[in-house]
Amino acid sequence: MLSIKNLQARVEEKDIIKGLNLDIKPGEVHAIMGPNGAGKSTLGNVLSGREGYEVTGGEVLFDGKNLLEMSTEERAREGLFLAFQYPVEIPGVSNMEFLKASVDAVREHRGLPAYDSVTFLKLAREKCKAVNLDQNFLKRGVNEGFSGGEKKRNEIMQMMLLEPKICILDETDSGLDIDALQVVAEGVNSQRSPERSFIVVTHYQRLLDYIVPDYVHVLANGRIVKSGGKELALELEEKGYSWIEQEGK
Amino acid sequence: MSLAFNEQAVASLKNLPAAPWLENIRASGAQVFSVTPWPNRKTENWKYTSLFALDQQAYHGAAPQVNLADDQLFAIAGLDAQRLVFVNGHFNAALSDKIDGLVCVPFSQANAEQQALIAQKLNGTFKQEQHLFGALNNAALQEGVLIHLTKNQVCKKPVQIVHVQSADAGFSSYARHVIVLEQHSEATVLEHFVSAAKIAENIHNQLTEVFVGEGAKLNHYRLHLESGSQSHFGGVHVNLAANAVFNSFQLALGGKIKRIDVVVNHQGSGAHSEINGVYLPKEKQHIDFHTCIEHAVPHCTSNEVFRGIIADQAKAVFNGRIHIHKHAQKTAAELSNKNLLLSNQAEINTKPELEIYADDVRCAHGATIAQLDEKARFYLQSRGISRQEAEVMLSFGFINELIDGIELEPVAQLLRPILAKQFISDERLARHLI
Amino acid sequence: MSEQINEYIKNEYAAGFVTDVESETLPPGLNEDVVRFISAKKGEPEWLLEWRLKAFRAWSEMTEPTWAHVKYPKINFQDVSYYSAPKSMDSKPKSLDEVDPELLKTYEKLGIPLHEQAILAGVAVDVVFDSVSVATTFKTKLAEAGVIFMPISEAVHKHPELVQKYMGSVVPQKDNFYAALNSAVFSDGSFVYIPKGVRCPMELSTYFRINEAKTGQFERTLIIADEGSHVSYLEGCTAPMRDENQLHAAVVELVALDNAQIKYSTVQNWYPGDAEGKGGIYNFVTKRAVAHTNAKVSWTQVETGSAVTWKYPSCVLKGDNSVGEFYSVALTNNYQQADTGTKMIHIGKNTTSTIISKGISAGKSQNAYRGLVRMNPSAAGARNYTQCDSLLIGDQCAAHTFPYIESKHPSAVVEHEATTSKVSDEQLFLCQQRGIDMEKAVSMIVNGFCKEVFKELPMEFAVEAGKLLEVSLEGSVG
Repeated sequence: MLSIKNLQARVEEKDIIKGLNLDIKPGEVHAIMGPNGAGKSTLGNVLSGREGYEVTGGEVLFDGKNLLEMSTEERAREGLFLAFQYPVEIPGVSNMEFLKASVDAVREHRGLPAYDSVTFLKLAREKCKAVNLDQNFLKRGVNEGFSGGEKKRNEIMQMMLLEPKICILDETDSGLDIDALQVVAEGVNSQRSPERSFIVVTHYQRLLDYIVPDYVHVLANGRIVKSGGKELALELEEKGYSWIEQEGK
Repeated sequence: MSLAFNEQAVASLKNLPAAPWLENIRASGAQVFSVTPWPNRKTENWKYTSLFALDQQAYHGAAPQVNLADDQLFAIAGLDAQRLVFVNGHFNAALSDKIDGLVCVPFSQANAEQQALIAQKLNGTFKQEQHLFGALNNAALQEGVLIHLTKNQVCKKPVQIVHVQSADAGFSSYARHVIVLEQHSEATVLEHFVSAAKIAENIHNQLTEVFVGEGAKLNHYRLHLESGSQSHFGGVHVNLAANAVFNSFQLALGGKIKRIDVVVNHQGSGAHSEINGVYLPKEKQHIDFHTCIEHAVPHCTSNEVFRGIIADQAKAVFNGRIHIHKHAQKTAAELSNKNLLLSNQAEINTKPELEIYADDVRCAHGATIAQLDEKARFYLQSRGISRQEAEVMLSFGFINELIDGIELEPVAQLLRPILAKQFISDERLARHLI
Repeated sequence: MSEQINEYIKNEYAAGFVTDVESETLPPGLNEDVVRFISAKKGEPEWLLEWRLKAFRAWSEMTEPTWAHVKYPKINFQDVSYYSAPKSMDSKPKSLDEVDPELLKTYEKLGIPLHEQAILAGVAVDVVFDSVSVATTFKTKLAEAGVIFMPISEAVHKHPELVQKYMGSVVPQKDNFYAALNSAVFSDGSFVYIPKGVRCPMELSTYFRINEAKTGQFERTLIIADEGSHVSYLEGCTAPMRDENQLHAAVVELVALDNAQIKYSTVQNWYPGDAEGKGGIYNFVTKRAVAHTNAKVSWTQVETGSAVTWKYPSCVLKGDNSVGEFYSVALTNNYQQADTGTKMIHIGKNTTSTIISKGISAGKSQNAYRGLVRMNPSAAGARNYTQCDSLLIGDQCAAHTFPYIESKHPSAVVEHEATTSKVSDEQLFLCQQRGIDMEKAVSMIVNGFCKEVFKELPMEFAVEAGKLLEVSLEGSVG
């Protein structure tokens, strides 16, 4: 589904990703762990085509298509979803208006008819309920005045509405207490299916207790330095990252 | 001084019939107008607004009596209001409601007692020597509305005062409103300016004087929705007594020249004003908002937020002055002005001013001219929304924040589609707004 | 508590003594002959006389600006003397040893010893006494680096090509009323040229002193930083205490060529007048810089003196990526009035400017920030950040902010913020409760308020500036 070959990228003239390889098949959940500054968040931004993240080498194929040639919105419409670590607040743009614009764009791309307003409202309310968000959130500005937990749940709700092929969760656990973490994890788990893949980027093993990965990769200094099964996460929890960083050198 | 416009304006005043009880004020207005220097680039108050265009056009035909078939131009769906309608400055009884429950009469129908009240209040909120178009408004004084609420009277139903411009030949029209709220009374007044779609270039000069008594509250709206060919010179001048409250929402689409002054005099301790405004000029339009918040006594508060989006070759001016007088201790005054320029030829001139003569006050102002937030745009794009549509949504969101704050929901509903249309060339891009 | 604060603010102006030297002073009045006299006195070439006369004729047609938020009696320009110089300077002393000891003593008293061994290490000083430059130190050391630092009257003779090319290129003769007056009658001032790629080996400094009564001072400074060069320059000013007002109308022009950097710092402590508002200097100054591609100009000013200040050090950001900065502390006390700020004119692409202005008003003074930020249609990607803070001490003073912001480019970003605060009773009480006396507390609070600006000053002067503020504030506390 997603095949990353020797990816290299830089931000503000500084090389951050230095030859990353990763192959993800439908239905798989890959966890990417690593110390701060390893390039974890950069990966999500590069894959979704953020301005200022310059790809300097390598290729990324998404369902056989060249992902790196697409604009940010084309990638989204093709089914790549990034759940942000710090979702931005957009005062004045209501959640409802935003969600409808987004879903319409994605459905149009897939040759599906746009929802009428009533059906969509019903659907949106349903999803709100699924992630335990009050319906009033739909009327408010995008993420405006939301708590950290509400912002993350809003991200998961968008994922549910957009039905992407691959989801990148960028440190979704940061800033969440254990209850909020469970709600978010349940939302993610409900979306797991044989067709949908996940990249779960996290610093801590904790999230992986709830979203159990098929593979764990350790990212250090812009490269994957070690891969394994879910037990690798436990090992990291116990021993920290330094021993792997040493190995990587 | 003495340019074509101003000579003709003085000459044309003779054509306006004067009511005997207004004659004195008219005479003094004409006198002051004729001796007030005509503004030029060095006149601080007119630094960024040239009146040159006024001389290039004749505006001195008599404002014609026109009958409109219906209220399509100014009906606000879902708004339960009492309405007075003026067409080209003339009161139109057929389109107006029979007002119930408060004193709300056109000058032309005022009784002796009401005439006396009007005469007593006129020029109570500004000095015509410092207000060129105020002097002209005095000189042309003829018609307007008196709204008077007695002590403790609360009028739940909004009053909608409509001014329609409609004619084939250019003219100037004038009106003056006087709104008097006695102690602890409360009212909502909506000033609504519209014009027929394709009409000649006209000028409307409309001054509103507001007197909010002790503990009284006025919710005020002023909507300038005339077409781009129209010019407007006018404003709202407000006196606030102790603990009085003035809430105002101002909106202006662009015109040939629009100059709107909003002046709030906090004269009684504990008075509070809240002013939100939006301006949206496009094409070659020009808007000039001059606001002045005067704090003359202690313990008052004011909060002012203006946002502008300037498109095409349009030009906007915002001058926001906060003046804290010597004994106005414990004042809290804030002003925020934010602008978006949408084109290479658009222009904004903003000047937030503080003039402070008391030390124990909290005053702050901020002004920004900025592009759309890059982070927000990426967020929208990462959800599949095209860059173009994301920009439209964010531009609209920039002013929608203020529209969302409007208390009368039918007014917000009226405005959203009008605003969305203002700066979006491709209608499809606006499909998710509103 | 306000009265107590006021008790503390009794301005003692330490630089207020008069030097007793015999001077040659022109009788009051201004006409073409006076302009010719000044030019002849300095043995100027014909082109410069013509230049002055052109300015004089323009000035004769101009009227004084009245838009500033200051009030003072109308100045009679025929009542001012336009030239004064110590007689001892007539013979043009070759070295410090030949300079009149009375003059040297003046500077020693002001804390500016001119003997090189006693001088602040690493600072070269040019001193201007009334209308003439009396001494320039470290000339040789600077010459080794190729740096030219001399009185402008001398530069006219020694480097006419540079003077002729750049003088008036930043502030044209007819720029404004006071610039035109200065162009007609300027007496002396400093000239600096830093050659390509040279980093000036020491701080350069000019010290201005008005001594003679009824004289105006009209100095002119021209600094040219050639491509890739760096220079840091500081000026200081004082004048004796006199009952009548005296006029100071200077012009400063800075040219920062490609990749050059100029840092210009001012500690202005002209006599501010007495506690009743009598006397003091009228400081009407035009300062402007042009920054070419990738160049950077930084103005830092600490303004504590003068009865009336009218001053807007500006940057014309002409070249792409050029940078302009303005850091200002303006303190007014008693009856002082200041209308000061800056102009940032963005012409080149990706130009950036920063404005940090701190106004402190005490006594019965008026303190206004006036600024212009202009984004021209060519200024794609330009940025400005402005922060104006006012601090009021006592309820008799006033603080104003008049920022003009003009933008004609959609990608230019401007941010302006202004706040007002007072030295609060709570702050003072806290300090006092912790055993700090009132005067010290106010000075701590004011210094804290100004910190962002002081850190921009060269080290030696940051300390000076803090002290100066303390002295100027004396008696302002209550």
